[in-house]
Amino acid sequence: MTHSIIEIGPFQLILALVFILAAGGASLYHGLKLEKDLLVGTIRTFAQLFLLGYVLKFVFRLDSVWLVLAVFLFMIVFAVRIIRSRIVEKQVAFFWPMLISMTISYAVVAFLITGVVIGAKPWWKPQYFIPLAGMLIGNSMNAVAISLDRLLGELKKRRQEVEMMLCLGADYREASKDMVKNAMRAGMIPSINSMMAVGVVFIPGMMTGQILAGADPLTAIRYQILVMVMLVGCTAILSFLGVRIVCRLCFGPSQQLLLKPEKNRPTPPK
Amino acid sequence: MRNADCGIKNNIIDFKDVTFVFEGKAPLFSDLTLSIEKGAFYLVQGPSGAGKTTFLRLINRLEEPISGEIRFQNKPFDSYSPPVLRRSLLYIQQTPTVVDGSVAENLLLPFSFKNNGHLTRPGQEKLEALLREVHLKDVEMSDHAMNLSVGQIQRLCLVRGLLLSPEILLLDEPTSALDRKSAQAVMALIERLNVESDLTILIVTHKAYGQGRVKPRYLRIEDGRIEESS
Repeated sequence: MTHSIIEIGPFQLILALVFILAAGGASLYHGLKLEKDLLVGTIRTFAQLFLLGYVLKFVFRLDSVWLVLAVFLFMIVFAVRIIRSRIVEKQVAFFWPMLISMTISYAVVAFLITGVVIGAKPWWKPQYFIPLAGMLIGNSMNAVAISLDRLLGELKKRRQEVEMMLCLGADYREASKDMVKNAMRAGMIPSINSMMAVGVVFIPGMMTGQILAGADPLTAIRYQILVMVMLVGCTAILSFLGVRIVCRLCFGPSQQLLLKPEKNRPTPPK
Repeated sequence: MRNADCGIKNNIIDFKDVTFVFEGKAPLFSDLTLSIEKGAFYLVQGPSGAGKTTFLRLINRLEEPISGEIRFQNKPFDSYSPPVLRRSLLYIQQTPTVVDGSVAENLLLPFSFKNNGHLTRPGQEKLEALLREVHLKDVEMSDHAMNLSVGQIQRLCLVRGLLLSPEILLLDEPTSALDRKSAQAVMALIERLNVESDLTILIVTHKAYGQGRVKPRYLRIEDGRIEESS
């Protein structure tokens, strides 16, 4: 199945802004005060995606492994920053441990998918590696943020229970087992739900994009299956790793729970 | 009446120049040096916010001092694994906490932890005898722990802690939610363990101590200092 893709020109893009105007009108009418956010969001969408388009064109043309890896690392750094910013609890400094573990996990999964499963040559071929890694990072970032937010929230809320177990001779893993389990489940559920609903409730963006670009729907679904499986696997690995790492950071060297109410935070030992 | 006239000093806990500070506040304890004698029965008293609970939490290592050293049986805390240390210096929180499960599951919870794997699980008879001793004879092993009253949970937590045979029992207001009779039963059990098993006891309490089997020693915490009196 081949057809040429219909180009979207500047006029069509501007026409699409009607939807934003409608949303802005609704916000004004109901006093939602979202007009500024809508404006900023629209400008950022245009600016970021145009920038991405030019960056990808540049990266595809240069075809350099170092450039591909630099883009890959850049995406991960921003993902960890977004995760950090989304989590209300700021007592635990997890930026660096998460950055290292996410980089290793993404690198392994992205290499397996592009190099081994798809068989792209070379394995870092930008047309495959960057979009697939981007989807991987974008989707699992949400899962990690949900998992960590749940973990930190539960540890803080159930502090009495955790300390009770510590007092009775539990180590930090035993004392936080229930919270770790709940956090991992919370992170995994959205991607499992997506697997249940895909093709019935919604047609995923990547598959839609491929079909619009003229790909055979049967080729598009194979890519989509690959992506969904990859996402669930990566989400599981990262939820597991992230939750484990951050959970350890919530406890001090003598396995005391560090998450405390603001007025009761001890000064750390010298 | 056994502790006041104890001739040989045998310290179980030693604080040496311990300083503890909550973030952004003046030090709660500065260069605190004191000893807790083995087998003694202490009542820890002082105004609200003076640091009574924090003092117990420092002994249990739920809090870490910013400087100084705390020793258990003449060895620094660092020479013990934290779970083993905490089990030996057992702290029972002011807010009694149980997990979602039956009374029996809660009582046997500590025996599911790997550091307690070598301890013998108590049999049904021992559990029931201890529950009877703290006036919980109407509580069934199959009852859901979360359905018990606060006073009953308080006693359940005490019994659960005692099953671990600790070296020191650190109790934070153990009778705060109990009626007079139940409070007396709890205190009688604690006194019995102190007298018969030489268990060191530290109790944070606001209540006056009546006539009992032991003569307590008092630790008064105020303005960052801890002073002992008989």
